[in-house]
Amino acid sequence: MINIDGTLLAQLVNFIVLVILLRIFAYKPIMKMLHDREAKIANSIESAENDEKKAKQTLDEYQKQLAEARLKAQEIIDKAMKRAQQEYDASVVQTKQEIEQMRQNAKEDIVRERARAATQLKGEVVSLSMAAASKIIATNIDDAANQKLIGEFIEKLDKNKLGDLSC
Amino acid sequence: MPESAAHELMLFGLSFNMETLKMTWMVMAVVVIMSIVATRNMKLVPVGLQNIFELIITSLNSQINANLGKRGVLFAPFLISLFLFLLISNWWGLIPGMASPTNTLNTNLGLALLVVVMLHVLGLYYKGTKYIKHFFEPFAPFVIIKLIEEIAKPITLSFRLFGNIVAGELLIHILPKLLPNIFAEVIPGVIWLAFSTFVGIVQAFVFTMLSMSYLADGVNDEEDA
Repeated sequence: MINIDGTLLAQLVNFIVLVILLRIFAYKPIMKMLHDREAKIANSIESAENDEKKAKQTLDEYQKQLAEARLKAQEIIDKAMKRAQQEYDASVVQTKQEIEQMRQNAKEDIVRERARAATQLKGEVVSLSMAAASKIIATNIDDAANQKLIGEFIEKLDKNKLGDLSC
Repeated sequence: MPESAAHELMLFGLSFNMETLKMTWMVMAVVVIMSIVATRNMKLVPVGLQNIFELIITSLNSQINANLGKRGVLFAPFLISLFLFLLISNWWGLIPGMASPTNTLNTNLGLALLVVVMLHVLGLYYKGTKYIKHFFEPFAPFVIIKLIEEIAKPITLSFRLFGNIVAGELLIHILPKLLPNIFAEVIPGVIWLAFSTFVGIVQAFVFTMLSMSYLADGVNDEEDA
């Protein structure tokens, strides 16, 4: 056990052979595998990061589009409301105008009717008064004098009473 | 284990211990076969033996990188083989009928000398005169202490391993003779086997780590720059 002999040299050779064999069969394949794994993990992490980035980008884009759409919708609603308001205002004005027109027409009609009625009344009053007067006083006055008399009388009526007549 | 003449082989005027050589070859065969099995069908997700080999290689590699710097890659296969060979060798003697190749100084001193010779050759190769100069630092008389240190390196390295393994094997052989019957031997025998398994790992690791730190003196390029 303790004696040192040629076995020492043989063991050296043995060990060197073993180193060479293990380098081929263990060290190299395992180092290669470790590098492969490292590369694969690095790739996976990188692609995961890329995916995450892409997803975030898509989300951002989507949110931006959503916000834009919302803005546009609001705009459309605003426009529609404005237009409705305008139309409403316009129709109100038109209606008011129409009403005003109608009132004006009615007023004019009334005035016209009243004038016509007054004229008619005046005529009739004259002839009635004439008939009445000629019967009552039985005095023969010529037509011209009659006309003048009654005309003055009516004028007076006109000024004092006819204006207050309600029609 | 008396060395009988039957185990001796004379060749070129040198005697060879065939027992040790046979055991060494068996251990080598086991290590190589295990490594082939481990790496034959490698998967990206490691299982079984591949896992164990990867564990050993990566943990030793990190030590090698820390100690030897960027030149460590060159010596990684050497140090990893050293560890695997010593581990299986130390355990080999625990199998009934087998003996550890590391139970003889021939193996241990051979490996220790290989490490020390590598250290000096690599030191001279990488650092040149600076390597010789470091024996005389900080003062010239220090060369005496430094030389004793250098001589002590292979001796301590080999005798430490030798003593541990021989003691383990001897006690395995002596235990049955000390105890009255086989039943009384079971408990101390199992405990001693378990302890020897532990010692086998520790000694293989210690030998490898010390070889690494010795080599670091010659190889590490930290102060080169």
